[in-house]
Amino acid sequence: MNEFLAILKNELIKTIRRPRSYIGFGVIAFICLMLQGAFYQDGKELLSTVTAQFDNIFNVQGNILNGNLICYIVLQTLIVQMPMLVAFVTGDQVSGETSTGSIRFLLTTPASRTKIVVAKWLSGLVYTLFLLLVLGIFALFVSRAIFGVGDLMAMNSEGLTIIRADDINWRWGFAFLIAFLSLSVVASLSTLLSCIMDNSITPIVTVMAIIIIFTIIGMFDMKSFDVIKPFLFTTHMISWRSLFEDPLPVDNIVASCAILFLHVVIFLGAAIFYFKRKDITN
Amino acid sequence: MKKFFLLALTLFSFQAYAIDDPSALIRELNKKFSQVNDYTAHIRMTFDIPGVRMNAMNGKVFFKRPDRFRIRTKGIFFLPKQNPLQNMSAMLLDTSSYTSIISGYEVVKGKKCAIVNIIPLRNSIDLVLGKFWIDVAHPLVMKTQITTKNNGTIETENVYASNSTYTLPDQIIIRLETKKIKISKMMAADLNKKSKDTSNDNKLETGTIILSFSDYKINTKFADSEFDKAE
Repeated sequence: MNEFLAILKNELIKTIRRPRSYIGFGVIAFICLMLQGAFYQDGKELLSTVTAQFDNIFNVQGNILNGNLICYIVLQTLIVQMPMLVAFVTGDQVSGETSTGSIRFLLTTPASRTKIVVAKWLSGLVYTLFLLLVLGIFALFVSRAIFGVGDLMAMNSEGLTIIRADDINWRWGFAFLIAFLSLSVVASLSTLLSCIMDNSITPIVTVMAIIIIFTIIGMFDMKSFDVIKPFLFTTHMISWRSLFEDPLPVDNIVASCAILFLHVVIFLGAAIFYFKRKDITN
Repeated sequence: MKKFFLLALTLFSFQAYAIDDPSALIRELNKKFSQVNDYTAHIRMTFDIPGVRMNAMNGKVFFKRPDRFRIRTKGIFFLPKQNPLQNMSAMLLDTSSYTSIISGYEVVKGKKCAIVNIIPLRNSIDLVLGKFWIDVAHPLVMKTQITTKNNGTIETENVYASNSTYTLPDQIIIRLETKKIKISKMMAADLNKKSKDTSNDNKLETGTIILSFSDYKINTKFADSEFDKAE
């Protein structure tokens, strides 16, 4: 166990020391602050495009443009970007060391290959967790500080769902947990590809390509795509949105979480399986 | 005995007059309205609006003559543009702006009501036609159907209890026709949801808002600042 913790500590230090690890934090902070600034300036105008369709019938009273709505919009905006930021760091954890040759030194330690892969995967998850924490701080808490707290007017293709402010914190908590599970799938896929490939860029680009392709398939309403959509992890990655529906589709959320967890197990299992049998020829 | 017959005859003739004459009914109503200079009450609002899911919410309502009105609550809520709480008394009180006729009688919640049509006399008024179902025995507005130029038609049903002498209902059921509120898939960023059949999207559906009042405090002369206080 001490051996494993030492490798994990070593992996975490490596992640902290790599400058690229901080790009993700910077990108998140920039996107959040940029969107908050834009909404502060033009938010009411943008919302009027939604409220225009019932403006002649209803007066909508209360503070619509509040921190909860901004956080909801920011999270939606980052559907595609967040996995890329995770892949950017986790994609070369093994392949980067393979390409530089430093993996040989790592493999001379008494730790098993399984422990090495799991430690790298775990350090990737810790990074993902911090990325989400930064996102939570900027998207939720900074937005609330700027725009105030209020009911969330969640927009989905079915219409509007108003979630009361006193019923929302637990939803955000679970939403971030599901987001963590979703990004864990990306981290696990990156780890798998990183074990398979021998240079540091290819796994990162491959993960990004897979996510872009899957997301595009998810966007189109075509019968041929409908067959494969349930099997794409990107379909389930945005199940956090279901927490802002009323009534809560608990079965769908649980099913999506189970599918995401299964992906994590399969990708990590495959990564260990492959890495244990891999010839290090570099 | 003679006096009794005389009194009975007077009362009967007044009742008959009240039933047939819309002005008399409105006059009686306005008398009741004018007893109320201001009120506050607790309000519970429940919503059933096509395309909008929202839970019931509680708040406090403030009213001052002639038409200052506010619901103070924490959160987002929808009210019709034609607010019956604000408009009804103001509309009927200005007797010079409309003409009224009785178009028939109907029993509403076991009470015989005259259907009083209010037709505006000036084109500048937003109102197109106001129909008021007024209880002929004890003048109270039991039901309304108000059509305006800008906001379509809305119907209300009023339920009275302890404050009927002030024409203050314990419950107002508002019904209005609206298209289902829909958000585009791209705007909602609902990428994985299947697009629905949009052939019925322009069909009008009925939305219902129920306002339930309790703990009325009438003519307490509360401060005007209540209308401006933060939630």
